[in-house]
Amino acid sequence: MLFTIGDYLAGSILGIVTALVVRAITWPGMDMVIAMLVGMAAGMVLHLVVGLVLSPCLGMFETMMPASLIGMYGGMFFGMRDSMAAGSATHAAAAGVGAIFGVVVVLGVKVYDAILRGTVLDVGE
Amino acid sequence: MTDRVTQEKWDAASRTFDLFTFADDRRLGPHKRRLFQKIRGATLMVAAGTGNDFKFFPPNLQLIAIDISPRMLERAARKAAAYQGSIDLREMDVCNLDFPAATFDTVATVCTFCSVPRPVVGLRELHRVLKPGGQILMFEHVRSAIGPFGILLDLMTPLSSRLGPDLNRDTVGNVQKAGFRLRRIENVYLDIVKMIEAVKDAAA
Repeated sequence: MLFTIGDYLAGSILGIVTALVVRAITWPGMDMVIAMLVGMAAGMVLHLVVGLVLSPCLGMFETMMPASLIGMYGGMFFGMRDSMAAGSATHAAAAGVGAIFGVVVVLGVKVYDAILRGTVLDVGE
Repeated sequence: MTDRVTQEKWDAASRTFDLFTFADDRRLGPHKRRLFQKIRGATLMVAAGTGNDFKFFPPNLQLIAIDISPRMLERAARKAAAYQGSIDLREMDVCNLDFPAATFDTVATVCTFCSVPRPVVGLRELHRVLKPGGQILMFEHVRSAIGPFGILLDLMTPLSSRLGPDLNRDTVGNVQKAGFRLRRIENVYLDIVKMIEAVKDAAA
């Protein structure tokens, strides 16, 4: 139970950090493709840092796999929103979207894990 | 001859190994315990590390545990002494095992073949030292077959392999290349962390 709460907290923290960092390095009117690439690169770096810090508490793969998706796709998503000025008006609102994005990704990975988990081959003795 | 590069890498990793495996031991431990209930007969554990996995073995086994890193084995000694059974620790490279052919009934590995530089060579050595009909029980992480996850693991491997394991190994395929017959595969986390059981056919 504590690990599950930790997974969602880690996802929301990484989502918030990614959203705020991408907001700091992109701006409205920036070329959207460049903003998405910059956001993706920043998200990838952030996921490694946050993942390494949190993995001793939550487990290497349980941390790194959702974190990599949040970093990569979240970075692109936040970069696109900020370059179009289509996103959140304030930093707090951007952080909120980041937190929600992180939680949704963690939930999605957990659902996918539940689908994949279990025996995939058993030929008996 | 021992692979010095690999040995030095894992000697260095031994300092932080227990820290980075703290949560994994708690989350994945029950699966390891379930896998190792299947151990029978003379048993070899490959890549003992700091001995974190000894607690998942059933009690009263008499097994030999090897590792390429003397620093890892130093840390494993205390945990081996606490085990309710007998664990004989030896420094050895899985690619060059100092055992006669057909010595063991069971080989157990935990996150080993993500790190062995020549995995098929190592697995062939294990195939050699297993008795005909012997089994290999593996708890390993592998490359995901799911597109985005697989690509991410490929991207992270150049960094991870400098400090520890590769993240994109095809260990199931390597087991088959080494001559084993797959008996059972179970996904533990996504399709990345797996329990793999395989046997050396009696006719081999």
